[in-house]
Amino acid sequence: MVRLVFWRLARTGLAVWALASAVFLLSHRDASAALLLAAPTAFDLGATHTAATPAQQLAAQRAVQQRLGLDRPLFYLSRNANPRIGRVQWHWNGRRNQYHRWAAGLLHGDWGTSFRTGQAVPARLRAALAYTLPLTGAAAVLAVLAALALAQRLAAAPWWQQPLRVLLTAVHALPLFVVALALLLVFANPEVVAWFPAYGLDQSPEVEASAWGHLATYLLHLVLPVAALTLTAMPELALQLDAALARELRTGYATTARAKGLAEPAVIRHHALRNALLPTIAQVTELLPALVAGAVVVEVVFALPGMGRLLAEAAAARDYPVLVGGVLLTGAARLLALLLADLLYFWADPRIRWQS
Amino acid sequence: MLIFSCTSNPNKSDSIRIRWVHDPETLDPMLLPNQAAFDANNLLNISLLQADVLTKELAPALAEALPAIQLVGDSLMKLGYRIKPAAAWDTGRPVLASDVEFTLKLMFCPGLSNEVARNQYRFIRAVLADARDPRRFALVCQGQAIEYQKASGEFFVLSEAALDPRGQLRRFALADLQNRPAAAPPDSALQALARRYVAATTGHISSQLPGCGPYRLVAWEKDRYLTFQRKPHWWADQLRPVPFVLQARPRLLRYVIIPDAATATLALRRGDLDVYPQMPAHEFARLQASPAARASLSFYSTPSYDVVTAGFNTRHPALADAATRRALSRCFDAAGLLRATQLGAGQRSTGVISPADSLNYNDSLALLPFDPPGAAWLLRQAGWQRAGQADSGWFRSAGLHGGRQQLRLVLRYRADESLFATIALQFQATAAGIGIPVILQPTESGAFTMALRTGDFDMYVRVLKGNPFMFNFTPVLHSSSVGISNSTGFSTPASDRLIEAITTADTRVHRARLLRQFQALMQQEAPLVPLFFLPNRIAADRRLRGLHASSLKPGYSAATLERGPSSSPTP
Repeated sequence: MVRLVFWRLARTGLAVWALASAVFLLSHRDASAALLLAAPTAFDLGATHTAATPAQQLAAQRAVQQRLGLDRPLFYLSRNANPRIGRVQWHWNGRRNQYHRWAAGLLHGDWGTSFRTGQAVPARLRAALAYTLPLTGAAAVLAVLAALALAQRLAAAPWWQQPLRVLLTAVHALPLFVVALALLLVFANPEVVAWFPAYGLDQSPEVEASAWGHLATYLLHLVLPVAALTLTAMPELALQLDAALARELRTGYATTARAKGLAEPAVIRHHALRNALLPTIAQVTELLPALVAGAVVVEVVFALPGMGRLLAEAAAARDYPVLVGGVLLTGAARLLALLLADLLYFWADPRIRWQS
Repeated sequence: MLIFSCTSNPNKSDSIRIRWVHDPETLDPMLLPNQAAFDANNLLNISLLQADVLTKELAPALAEALPAIQLVGDSLMKLGYRIKPAAAWDTGRPVLASDVEFTLKLMFCPGLSNEVARNQYRFIRAVLADARDPRRFALVCQGQAIEYQKASGEFFVLSEAALDPRGQLRRFALADLQNRPAAAPPDSALQALARRYVAATTGHISSQLPGCGPYRLVAWEKDRYLTFQRKPHWWADQLRPVPFVLQARPRLLRYVIIPDAATATLALRRGDLDVYPQMPAHEFARLQASPAARASLSFYSTPSYDVVTAGFNTRHPALADAATRRALSRCFDAAGLLRATQLGAGQRSTGVISPADSLNYNDSLALLPFDPPGAAWLLRQAGWQRAGQADSGWFRSAGLHGGRQQLRLVLRYRADESLFATIALQFQATAAGIGIPVILQPTESGAFTMALRTGDFDMYVRVLKGNPFMFNFTPVLHSSSVGISNSTGFSTPASDRLIEAITTADTRVHRARLLRQFQALMQQEAPLVPLFFLPNRIAADRRLRGLHASSLKPGYSAATLERGPSSSPTP
């Protein structure tokens, strides 16, 4: 088992490296947009009083290239069109290339610096994760617990089974931004009820408050964003588990359990649930990369500075070091989630172990 | 928790909270990548001249007065400045001419993000210090233009003592640094200086550059907020009277970053925000219509210098002639678009100069009409013929080279702005009515910038940002900028000559005459279609005083804001 996990981890590491390399090469291949956005040309009226000559503009562009480390060839090999001989030639660039510098830096723990802010990429990712993880983590835990509780109740076929299924399906169909805005406009609106803050994590840090006061403020600010994420994640989990439980409850072993005199809740909890969990395990582990990648919609609506916003803005601003760092992190989380799903499958259904 | 939320009324704080859409990203005074970065630097640093929102002119800030102009020969200009004797750094050391010279040299120091500043201030070739008065100096400028008088004083002055205590940059002349080849061997002193500068602009706020402005940065949570605290003893407090550009009243200024407009409106309604600049038209109108909002908020609307324009790619054969461009210009319903998108606010214009600028605006020109039949008539005049079937479009022969041209347009605009989508859809519908197929290409912001640069469009819609100080059309419409920043690719010898004459005009009256000619020429050639100038809308807490809503960016004066006495609670 340990060998298997080790082998899977090694494969995961290689896959993450391949993913990050692909993103690095693809993004840096078109560096002209990054250059243009890093030192914008005067596209506006009267932005400059003297217009630089084309040579000066070219010199400025080269300086930006050099500053951002984009002046080197992209990879060990490059392809150049040779007009003299009329065909394409391959050129070996040696170790003096962007990819080599990035890869060597990464192996030494240097993830690079942001094109836009000049800050180290790990520092930016850490700061964003500090806001994202409590938000997405709390939402994931609540969604899983709520889904488990609801699905077990639904499987017992109460009178409200059908209306609740309809409601869950309706909520599941709503886009996240609709749910987030609806919560905001209902629960943070002075014209309806202003029970919760509208944005951020604390509006007035200069107001003196105890540690408990700060914690209470923080939790209060998290209520609506966490509720939005939970409400959108939970129905899918609950409906899936409900369907899986319904299928299991129709099987022979469930009938046998009932014949032994077990009550329906006990049949569900002690017999059907573990067998019904397999698809849900895959769903829950799917949440892991989302924990790291953040929730851009919720972060924008509630003005939270998390990973989603960081990565979306990095992509828009062509801040490739931050983008590649984010992909590396999210990709690693995704692949680890797959590994975790496999391990949980082994736990939930030992037969899988033998088959594998 | 609910009880706690009710008791922690943020209004008890004496900070004034202003909304920003984005984080400034960096406070590097030589980079200034966005308006937020510029506004923040205005609090931390001072330039020789600063924009006065009351007079809409550049007024002396660090400088005692506007610079004295002295023409030298026929190609040089000397601008004589003297720094205010009271001006000092936080250490008590006076701000001197040497600091100005140091700042200018820093713009050409290798290894810094100074590429934009470099091209912007390259016209200053030398700083002549006065041996008798360390505060007096003259800037020697390459060329002679009245705009240099103001443009020469717009950069933030940085402290030489803080960044280069050993004065190592003094051994380089400004011209040497300007002419230093990119391949020159690295200089250890310049490298050390660059390292110190980068550390000061990217490090923790405690290591930020010390400025001689009225505020210091006390908190910066990326993508959340920035807090600026008024210095208890600031040099300009000694001045009597304190000039408007040097007033700094709020004790704490807090810029909160709220990307979503609906969230920012709610925050304003709840009292979590004091000033909401650049408010979208529909949010503004909705709040104005609400009695509860009217009781607690004040509303301001001023014309801005940002003009919504459509542009043609004049490099494309079908759009190379002015007649075709003029015809297509008549398919824009500027008045209707103004009503639909700005709810009637804003101002139509005949050109890219604001109608608010009475001296330079050419009011003898007629506004472009919305006239689809007229557009069809003009297309026929331009040699286009409608194909037999109604939906086949327009064709014309391609002249000597033979073949046929088809009038078929790809219209690009930024996908993240509904204003552009509305304009594009209106144009597409009108053009379809007279048989011109238009393909809309909403484009992501960065890709749109690239498309403008590479000429990958037939038409575009965007906002051209302007100001009342500078009238240099070289980057946008001169032949030397084609392929760089002249997106339309338009240029004629006559327009080039006129643009050059405007930049070198020696008096305001002469320049105004040239600008009026230029507007007439642009309406005739129509490489751009100015649709309307956008309004600048601000909603603010009713108790705030000294907002001074203005056409100048950012549209208000943050440093003169004061919270007035609390009004009685609204029933």
